[in-house]
Amino acid sequence: MTIDPTLREQAVHWAVLTGDPQFDDWDGFTAWLEADPAHARAYDEVAAAVAEAAEAFGAAAMVEPAHAAEPANDNPALPPGQHRLPRRAWLGGAIAASLAIIATIGVLRSGAGSVYTTAPGEVEVIALGDGSTVTLAGDSRLVLRGDDRREARLEHGQALFDLRFKGGRPFEVAAGADTMRHIGTVFEVRRLNKATAVAVAEGAVLFDPAGRRIRVNPGEGLTRRDGSNRIERARLPGASVGEWREGRQSFRDATLGDVAAMLSAATGQSFTVAPGAADKRVSGSVMLDPIRRDPASLGPLLGVTARADGATWVLEP
Amino acid sequence: MLEHRAKLLRFLKARGAGEEAEDLLQEIWLKIARSGPDQVRVTAPLPYLFQVANSLMIDRYRSSRQAALRDQSWLESTGGDAENAQAMPTPERIAIDRDLLQHVERALEQAGPRAAAIFRRHRIDGVPQREIAGEFGLSLSTIESDLRAAYRAIASLKEQSDEA
Repeated sequence: MTIDPTLREQAVHWAVLTGDPQFDDWDGFTAWLEADPAHARAYDEVAAAVAEAAEAFGAAAMVEPAHAAEPANDNPALPPGQHRLPRRAWLGGAIAASLAIIATIGVLRSGAGSVYTTAPGEVEVIALGDGSTVTLAGDSRLVLRGDDRREARLEHGQALFDLRFKGGRPFEVAAGADTMRHIGTVFEVRRLNKATAVAVAEGAVLFDPAGRRIRVNPGEGLTRRDGSNRIERARLPGASVGEWREGRQSFRDATLGDVAAMLSAATGQSFTVAPGAADKRVSGSVMLDPIRRDPASLGPLLGVTARADGATWVLEP
Repeated sequence: MLEHRAKLLRFLKARGAGEEAEDLLQEIWLKIARSGPDQVRVTAPLPYLFQVANSLMIDRYRSSRQAALRDQSWLESTGGDAENAQAMPTPERIAIDRDLLQHVERALEQAGPRAAAIFRRHRIDGVPQREIAGEFGLSLSTIESDLRAAYRAIASLKEQSDEA
């Protein structure tokens, strides 16, 4: 189908923008799509053509690694090796829906890194592989870099690192002008009010690994304010790191009825379950503090809806 | 996060999902939930969710077009079932399939060698546009302009093969 040239040019414009993992004007893109149903169709034509063209390179690279580097051949006869290309259909071909999703994740994790941001009251758990996670507190921004995602920069806010890597290079967190290298497993980094702080719950952290190499042990905290060389070390009061940690509740295949009861006890908020949904099973991990402040935020964390009914929050699948 | 849901639903509808938007949103949540270890729910940032939703829609478009073409092939083939029609496409189809990469490379050359190189770096190596700008010592708007030229060439190529 031939598309109107002006429309196609707009579609090309948006396909270029949305194809970038760092694209963030989804509101603008939505507005363009909503202006005319023909826009989505034109966009699909361009985006699908480009995806298929890119896959043709990928298929060639898998079969013949050297081929993609060859210049285009003016001779229409195929070089002998090209007959070995898997048959790629310009107008079809076998497409697994999940492949495109995986490809998207791959792009987002390459290059300049993945950017994670949370709004106030929001909490995010980022999976790093090997069972390692980063829990990002509200109003925070974290960038993960490197093919193995072992370089993190906490630009703002607070993050709890729970690292269980087996082998590989050490995980490093940068915050402000400081760098910390993980030796053990569980530690928290804060980047708030022009200061960097680290607190260790399990294992140890090496602060400034390329310079002073200060080891921070479990139950210890360290703070450095911007513009000051003085490092404040402190024994952490009681279980402050543990408190943050224990403020998280994980569920694995738990019934909604159990979840509602446990959360009601832990937060002081009243949770109930919609009729007939008490045996629905959910998995997930929630931080209790944000739930206490904003019970509705429980919904997406467990894949349910939390609906306010007076002073009670009703969980629905 | 609930606001995310409303925005994503609106996006999926604008993207042409129609009444299936709710189901697709559920599919997206499930895909992301499954990607976490030990069934720990991974909550993803909004732009990432949009990327996943957009990819899903492009995929669906490609699948539906593939199905339509299969039906068409089936109608054209006499006495064969749909599966055979797909396994034995017309001679024109075979030629198009075989020449695809060569055609794409030529189309990209028409867009210019720099645009071709930038296209490969972005779409095949997966490097973000801003990073490519740094590598090539060009402005981001130049990278976008070159990519538009490459996309335009590929879209034209596809239109030609659609009409063939």
